[in-house]
Amino acid sequence: MRFLVLSSWCLVRDSLLVLACACFVHAAAAEEKPGTKNQKPGTEPFRPVAGEFPPLEKAHAYRGELVFVDHANRRGSIRVQGEGKFFRNDPHPFAMLPYGMVRYHGAPADLRDVPLGTVLHVRGFLPPDPKLSSVPVLPVDNKDKDASHYRGTGIFPAENHVLLLEDEPSHCLRTGKVWKLKELELKDKQGTIVASREPKTGVDSTAEEESMTFDAATRIWRGRERLGVGDLIEEGIWPADGKKPLDGQPVLLGITWKPTSDGVFTRFHISDIWLDDTAMERAAENQTETHKTFIRSRWMPAWIDAVEYGQFGQATVTATLFGGMDDSLYADFKKDASALMNAVEATLKHTHGAYGPAHMACKGPIIDVVKAEGEAPLGSSGIQIQFQTDLIIEGIRPGRVVRVRPASWPQVQVPREEYVGDSIDARFPTPAIFPKY
Amino acid sequence: MLVFACAFCIQAPAAEEQPKSNNQDPKNEPFRPLAGEFPPLEKSHAYRGELTFVDHANRRGSIRVQSDGKFRFIPPNPFAMLPYGIVRYHGAPADLRDVPLGTMMHARAFLPPDPKLSAVPVLPINNRTKKEGNAGVGSAPAENHVLLLEDEPSHCLRTGKVWKLAEVEIKNKQGMIVARRESREAGDTQAEEETMTFDAATRIWRGREFLGVEEMITDGEWPASGKKSLEDQAVLLGITWKPTPGSVFTRFHISDIWLDDAAIQRAARHQNETHKAFIRARWVPAFVDAVEYGEFGTATVTATLFGEIDDSLYTDFKKDSRALMAASENTLKHWAGGTAGTAQMASKGPITEVIKAEGTVPLGSSGIQIKFETDLITEGIRPNRVVRLRPASWPDLHVPREEYLRDHKATHEERFPTPDVFPKY
Repeated sequence: MRFLVLSSWCLVRDSLLVLACACFVHAAAAEEKPGTKNQKPGTEPFRPVAGEFPPLEKAHAYRGELVFVDHANRRGSIRVQGEGKFFRNDPHPFAMLPYGMVRYHGAPADLRDVPLGTVLHVRGFLPPDPKLSSVPVLPVDNKDKDASHYRGTGIFPAENHVLLLEDEPSHCLRTGKVWKLKELELKDKQGTIVASREPKTGVDSTAEEESMTFDAATRIWRGRERLGVGDLIEEGIWPADGKKPLDGQPVLLGITWKPTSDGVFTRFHISDIWLDDTAMERAAENQTETHKTFIRSRWMPAWIDAVEYGQFGQATVTATLFGGMDDSLYADFKKDASALMNAVEATLKHTHGAYGPAHMACKGPIIDVVKAEGEAPLGSSGIQIQFQTDLIIEGIRPGRVVRVRPASWPQVQVPREEYVGDSIDARFPTPAIFPKY
Repeated sequence: MLVFACAFCIQAPAAEEQPKSNNQDPKNEPFRPLAGEFPPLEKSHAYRGELTFVDHANRRGSIRVQSDGKFRFIPPNPFAMLPYGIVRYHGAPADLRDVPLGTMMHARAFLPPDPKLSAVPVLPINNRTKKEGNAGVGSAPAENHVLLLEDEPSHCLRTGKVWKLAEVEIKNKQGMIVARRESREAGDTQAEEETMTFDAATRIWRGREFLGVEEMITDGEWPASGKKSLEDQAVLLGITWKPTPGSVFTRFHISDIWLDDAAIQRAARHQNETHKAFIRARWVPAFVDAVEYGEFGTATVTATLFGEIDDSLYTDFKKDSRALMAASENTLKHWAGGTAGTAQMASKGPITEVIKAEGTVPLGSSGIQIKFETDLITEGIRPNRVVRLRPASWPDLHVPREEYLRDHKATHEERFPTPDVFPKY
């Protein structure tokens, strides 16, 4: 009897232990993906998957003011526009996806090119892997929550991993829109402009009018010229004082935010007006040249699609180049040309030998270049290369991010904060730097 | 034993606070700025470097400091602006947020006034003499509290210098320019030539025009290919850094060329207007020199306005006009009490006197002292503390969330940011 009681007690004890472990595992799994436990597979929120470009239509769209940049880690903060008092919205951290694109003045850009204060359009997703997120991981439904204190809902979306970040002119150029200026009111070289964002051709009766401020620091671009409000007044195009209709004049606008008075919840400010296409094209050309030099010095980022291993360290690597760069850069990836390929992290930072990224990079010929037919998903160039090397390195594995350059590009050395040393924090930055309000 | 242990504990942190300064003769103690005083520029340490990180809300950032080593190996060195510290961009007053990343800046800096409250790492006093491997000597100075931070054109305008372009070598819209920084008038035999790169993204400003290298070629000013003497053409340059081949220790890049005075004046005017709007929204910072308390909360406050703001803003501080004064911190952040912003908790009252100092004023100071009477003084308005003030004629605008401390909810870290945000290399 005592034996039976004892063995029963062991059975109960063991069962309790198993039950406790099961609870522990279950709780940990629940914490990893907030809001997803107990969900049926079909209802899990969408997260980008390594090695795949997510569909733009699954992104959450929002707009906000760029308030902080940590360009070396491809992240920053945005004050997201909601329905409440804009000035009260805490800066909201975001991270660029490895294939995430920044566009400034209608051209490819890096975060470092975008001035603080610029209002940007965002297409963001949930963190692909919350454990490795370099920005805070928020509840999946965070965008539906009221932030209180007259701030409204939607200002802290959990979709903080960004596929596309574009300033106002880039957004308009991509979507075929312009700003049509209706009226201005001016005194002492500052005032307000009423305008609506509409299709370049035709009329959009649903387009809402928006009132924005401008001042003596607003830059006005016309052809080759950079003008100020004072110049337009001198030329008689704008009055020195008072109102004037602008008859729907189509322009492109750069938009920022400046502090407003108490009664105003949200009102933006015009930093730039491009009066004609020539002016905008010149700005885009300058930014394109800036970015081309940037990519040539940092190398082209890409995914690894497949690796076929040979003997003694040889391998054939298939990789898809990331998108959004100038065509002339892709054109340098030619069949039979030599190339170098280096492992990087999600921040696109190089791993680094003593003599720079090229020291440890795999080297060899490009044996094929394949351009996909049709439109490539955003983030992808649609260009896949096959590259042979006689010494493959560890970081070059399917789903991982690499940087690759044709040997014809100059061999230059990236600065200290753009390569990974020995620190795990440099490889996987944590959200710790972002202040909590 | 307990007393001994406690004494040891107290002494150890004190030693850590002011490295290498204990046991020193007061005359040999390194110079540190004092609260309420503007330090002499000649006691600052001067260096130059690339702006690589900005935390504008806390008036700090990082600079890759030029040394005798390989520039690319130099880790970004954190710096903090002194409360009266001045930023100049395009020859006009600016804020850190106005300066693009990558811009080469000239810095005049000091040791931390109070190491305990430093928002950036406190380094050994002799750190600028140390060799940091491939980064060379002087790449991480302890003098990281900045009085003056200016870009290249601002530095040249302030010191009466220009860049004289000796030669250009060009191919495919990029190449090198050889130039010297020297006085505009006579030749300076001591000025060294420097070679810098340029490319198709280099902006060239002429009068109202924004040009590129291509236009210089089309206009016949520069060749499409090859070398050309530029005969010491006097210009102003914007300088940045771009990655160089491994054999090149340090070589800078030209981001902008201002070909004539009209072009740089327009740039300065634009930046000035940007800064004026900024100060009107954020109020003018100042030191409190003295407070005379009356009864029931009344007080007369004497304060010195900080310098390098457009004159038109100072002239708005008029005798007998009303003003508002609010407590601030070394980061110049506002205190926002309640829901109505800074103005809600600010002391209010008339300006009873405006005194303009005669002669040269120290950098950081405007030389303008005001006396201000209020019927309700607030705690933060005490001698040597930093305040923000504005004439009542300026619009009442609300600063954004990261620029204010939210009354009793503000954390210690918000008031006194720690250096934790800076990575360690």
